[in-house]
Amino acid sequence: MLAAEYVLGTLEGSDAREAVRLLRDDPVFAAAVHAWEERLAPLALSAPPAVPPPELWDRIAIATGAEVTPLPARRRLRFWQASTGAALAIAASLAGFILLRAPSAPLVAVLAPLNGGVPLLIATAEADGTLNVQPNKIVSVPSDHDLELWALPQGETHPRSLGVLPVAGRRLTAPLPRGTELLVSLEPRGGSPTGAPTGPVLYGGRLAALN
Amino acid sequence: MLLLQRSARGDRAAFRALYDQWGRRLYGIALRITRQPSLAADATQDAFVQIWQQAQRFDPARGSAEAFLVSLVRYRALDVVRRQSRETPGYEPVEQEDETPDALTRLVSSAEGVALHRCLGLLDAERRRLVVMAFVDGLSHSELSSHLNVPIGTVKSWIRRSLLSLRECLAS
Repeated sequence: MLAAEYVLGTLEGSDAREAVRLLRDDPVFAAAVHAWEERLAPLALSAPPAVPPPELWDRIAIATGAEVTPLPARRRLRFWQASTGAALAIAASLAGFILLRAPSAPLVAVLAPLNGGVPLLIATAEADGTLNVQPNKIVSVPSDHDLELWALPQGETHPRSLGVLPVAGRRLTAPLPRGTELLVSLEPRGGSPTGAPTGPVLYGGRLAALN
Repeated sequence: MLLLQRSARGDRAAFRALYDQWGRRLYGIALRITRQPSLAADATQDAFVQIWQQAQRFDPARGSAEAFLVSLVRYRALDVVRRQSRETPGYEPVEQEDETPDALTRLVSSAEGVALHRCLGLLDAERRRLVVMAFVDGLSHSELSSHLNVPIGTVKSWIRRSLLSLRECLAS
């Protein structure tokens, strides 16, 4: 049971030190630890995915010895600042970039199966509160069932229903802040009878700014 | 997983793709345990550095890439949070609402998840909550004991019995 408790992460003090020692020295113990890691891994993935700080990749790249090239956005910004007097052509070439960075830029969430896989739906939240959810691929739903769309704002624990989601997609008004997680669950026809997801959560993704 | 094996051979593009594919999920796991974005970022960074340096230790014949990645980040996050609580006297993990139903709902999107969900469902509600709080929220025996106001010996024996019945159920 020490192997199971080690994987669960509940050990403290001398028990924890003993487990670390056995993991190093005892192949039977190490195999038991691996078996428990396999058994419990899906439960760890039930923690909602979250968007890491944007500089995290650079930190990892530096720590693993890569030469880090500056982000294209920063480079273009410097170029733009250095050449304010330059031709309109440059301004035009940067227009797309500036639009993306404008405060009114839409937030986007890519809704994919929670354990990975191809994104099936794309959600775009406009600054005016319009939320547009469109299928990326053909989505099929068993008869007598509907998909239901849920919003889980950052820091909250209970998703709010945004209603049934037709497979062809839907446009609705729902002002949602950045970081809100959108979830799609499979529900009885007409939507969840309880106000909370009752079927499996099939897809999820978090609203983030494009960059 | 191909990306993990390619990263092990020093393929930077594969490593980047692995980060794109797994970064949000591993950071989410770390954030749930550490409750602090800066600590979660530290744990995720450590995990990816370990992946880069030690991915050759991953043997697809012995286990899934998923379990390998998840375990790396969980152990790093637990280290970070236990170190923090040792170095900061009086540090208490932020109280969190019980998210058990939510966590369980999310389980059901893979075959392994479905089996684990079914087996967790056979435990009684309080013991299931204990296992989820330990594994997903990273609480130790003593933290669970004070959180649930149950003696530590009881916490330990409940957890042991729950793990035994999980093992039995998953093997059947």
